[in-house]
Amino acid sequence: MNFTITRQNLHKGLAAVSASIPTKTTLPVLSNILFEATSEGVRMSGTDLDVGVRIQVPADVSLEGSLTAPGKKLQEIARELPDEPVRITTQGDQIELRCGRSHFKLNGLPSEDFPTLPAVSFESGWQATGETLLSLIHHTSFAVSTEESRPILNGVLWELSDGQMRMVATNGHRLAKMTVPAASSSHTTVQFIVPPAALQQVQRLFGKEEEVVVGQEGNHLGFRSGGTEVYTRLIEGSYPNYDQVIPRDNDKWAVVDRKTLESAVRRMAVVASDQTHRIRMSLAKEQMQLNVLTPDLGEGHDEIEVQFEGDDLEIGFNAAYLLEILRYMDTEEVRLGFKAPERAATIEPVSGEGEESGIEYLCLVMPLRLLD
Amino acid sequence: MARTIEVLPDAVANQIAAGEVVERPASVVKELVENALDARAGRVEIELAGGGKRKVRVADDGLGMSREDALLSLDRHATSKVRGTSDLRALKTFGFRGEALPSIASVSRLTLETQADVAEPGTSIRVEGGRILQVRDMARTRGTTVQVERLFFNAPARAKFLRNTAAETRAVSDAVGTLSLAHPGVAFRLESEGRVLLDLNAASDLPNRVAQLWGDRAAEELIPVHGEGEGFRLVGLVQRPDAARPGFRRTALFVHGRPFREPALIRAGDRAYRTTVAPETRPWILLELRVPAGSVDVNVHPTKAEVRFQNRNAVEALVERSIREALEGEASAATMDQDLPLPHVQVRERSPAGPGDGGGSSETQMALFLRGDGAPGPEPGQEVDGLVPEPAEPPRLWQVHRAYILAEVRDGLLLIDQHAAHERVLFEEIMRSFDTGGSEGQRLLFPLTLRLPAAEYEQAEALSGLLHQTGFEVEGFGGDTVIVHGVPAPHPNFDAERSFREMIEELTHGSELVRSARNQHERVAMSFACKSAIKAGQTLDEREVQELFDRLFATELPYHDVHGRPTVVRLSSRELERKFGR
Repeated sequence: MNFTITRQNLHKGLAAVSASIPTKTTLPVLSNILFEATSEGVRMSGTDLDVGVRIQVPADVSLEGSLTAPGKKLQEIARELPDEPVRITTQGDQIELRCGRSHFKLNGLPSEDFPTLPAVSFESGWQATGETLLSLIHHTSFAVSTEESRPILNGVLWELSDGQMRMVATNGHRLAKMTVPAASSSHTTVQFIVPPAALQQVQRLFGKEEEVVVGQEGNHLGFRSGGTEVYTRLIEGSYPNYDQVIPRDNDKWAVVDRKTLESAVRRMAVVASDQTHRIRMSLAKEQMQLNVLTPDLGEGHDEIEVQFEGDDLEIGFNAAYLLEILRYMDTEEVRLGFKAPERAATIEPVSGEGEESGIEYLCLVMPLRLLD
Repeated sequence: MARTIEVLPDAVANQIAAGEVVERPASVVKELVENALDARAGRVEIELAGGGKRKVRVADDGLGMSREDALLSLDRHATSKVRGTSDLRALKTFGFRGEALPSIASVSRLTLETQADVAEPGTSIRVEGGRILQVRDMARTRGTTVQVERLFFNAPARAKFLRNTAAETRAVSDAVGTLSLAHPGVAFRLESEGRVLLDLNAASDLPNRVAQLWGDRAAEELIPVHGEGEGFRLVGLVQRPDAARPGFRRTALFVHGRPFREPALIRAGDRAYRTTVAPETRPWILLELRVPAGSVDVNVHPTKAEVRFQNRNAVEALVERSIREALEGEASAATMDQDLPLPHVQVRERSPAGPGDGGGSSETQMALFLRGDGAPGPEPGQEVDGLVPEPAEPPRLWQVHRAYILAEVRDGLLLIDQHAAHERVLFEEIMRSFDTGGSEGQRLLFPLTLRLPAAEYEQAEALSGLLHQTGFEVEGFGGDTVIVHGVPAPHPNFDAERSFREMIEELTHGSELVRSARNQHERVAMSFACKSAIKAGQTLDEREVQELFDRLFATELPYHDVHGRPTVVRLSSRELERKFGR
């Protein structure tokens, strides 16, 4: 292998790939990046076996070939190199790097040791704009479960159906769901459960303006735009029926300024129990009261003006869940819907007049049982 | 008709009393040593021959007696300690019945030698079977020596009940040991047939006396107890829970230096250990009570082995509470320290080590500035603890092996078992929340539908009220299925379903843990704590480590989990220094 590459392209490629390689691994080759030089340029790949990233960057290849080399070290070197062309060659299992008067030799491993990234065909795939994809990921993936007993909930549900695209994530205590209109396609509805780590790579590597192609092969999914590809294993199993738990009969509605509510809840959370973060919300005409009482610590009380319709209500919440959801609401005001103190509450953005975008965003949060 | 009822001659009355007071050489020794202690002896020496059957000799350096007093002391009910019945209730001294010496004298050949005042000659009195044979002057130092020979020579029926020499010697040794605990400031020496069985110098306090008696290790395993309430004061030593073992135990109770037996107080002590030791474990308990005058009747039994408290419940409560409080302290934590002294090697401190040092590399980092020898600052090993107030800085914490928390504290290191620590935290939180109506449950978007074996289903139904208070909202669905609508959230990685199943299984079929519970609330809380706590293998981030540490030390018994295992193992700086030969 022998090629010359600009420092910028080398650094861009290494930066994209090295973030996907595991920091600690029992398989040494995984801390390496795979370099493949072909007539079209140089491909760099990295993977932690769950998620893989591959990027193709232009390079002047004089001898095709491949080798794996330590990813983090190469990235650190590339960052410090002068802005001059970099010549990369291999000698056995060593990679040599020359740039200006700098010269490095690093020990690598044969490319055969490197795991093969899934062969996903993008021919019959789906298309989504970067903007759509990123917005869906941003607004939902925070809600995935980190608890390992129900692996299904460790992923984001991605539903692609005729004319729309939807992502849902939940940990069983709160749920985020977003639906956006998508270019019509003839596909029947498909569902994927995607690990959030893969979606993070998508967020990191793809821009809003890019057109992303998504392909599936067995239990793997691939995302591609330009020369950048992200591969992931899908989580297998059937996602719980989220639609069934979305309340249809909420009859108490509060519209409130998002920032006001957020800062009030944040204040209350200071005094809330570290363990349950429990706060108490009381709603009556024109007023929302927030209360917190934590034994051994103290209590707090706050009031906010709201537009409230319906019977008075008292309900308990984990303040951390409320804050998290409020952070992802983009509008000035949010609408909260309730039925009863033991039933799911809904939170949704309130869009201004004439801002109908066809985007539906809804979060659910289950209450904490209140003690009397 | 002739009179059939007669007042007994004193000698006979004394022999009868002797039957109550004097059972065996050990009781002779006990009575004589108590007399010595009442005479404010600083040193008591005991000599035995034939396990005390042939000879008991008790010598003290106490106040001594004048001749008149010495003669009176051999008269029954002659006592220097009680003048009227009102004194009887306010007793502070050991003997008071005035029975001991005459009783012993009536069943042995007794020689009493005593001197009270240097200005007067000492007195020697020889008594046989209660009859005074000889009284004469003698020269001696201040104090009293009583020699008792041929115990029960005139009561062969009683002599027959004496056991072999070894057993009697052991009984004497135990009696002296027990008394020596109550009087650490008094020196004791016990010799049998020329062999020294005990040689205890005056000790500064009880722990030192324990170390003299049973070794340093035993002393290090004991932690101090202090308590006060309703006029009672309690001091003593109890065993660190991690050192307690099943089987053999030592217990001793004293009231004003007087040993007594009261199983109920020991049981109260055992109750204090609840959840800190495994159920069959029997920790050592050594307690001394100071009681208000009139609240205790020691005149229940001639040997005063039993006492009667006016308000025994209050005393039991004090014992339980004080021991519990002692177990709350850091001293009750398990320790890595050893009492084995390691060879002390004096090593000259090298100049400050560079980063290259210690890695096995031969290269050393050259220091830009060498620290002058006269640099200010405390010398290593210099005691500064007492001078510098405890820094407000919180301890630094690390998670190690995804199972333990390593904490750097002022005087050493703590290793905390994350699961055990969280168990303790959850147990106390749940127990407290039972009083306030329960703890919050997080309602579930997707309720858990669980099929349970019939017995477990019944248990879940029966306990649904208590389970509800732990946060598990359980509803019977009929058949063998329950629906869990709400779950507690003890930590972010809580597996509610698994925890619930394990808990119901444990509560249905029992386990060593839940059998140790006192009531249903405790059973549920223990099981919940055990099944819901963070497991070993769970990675904790910095904040979680800190939170667990803070919550553990906010509990009442941070050093013990609910199974009776330690949550914390301590390694003192002193021990580290010793290990490294500093």
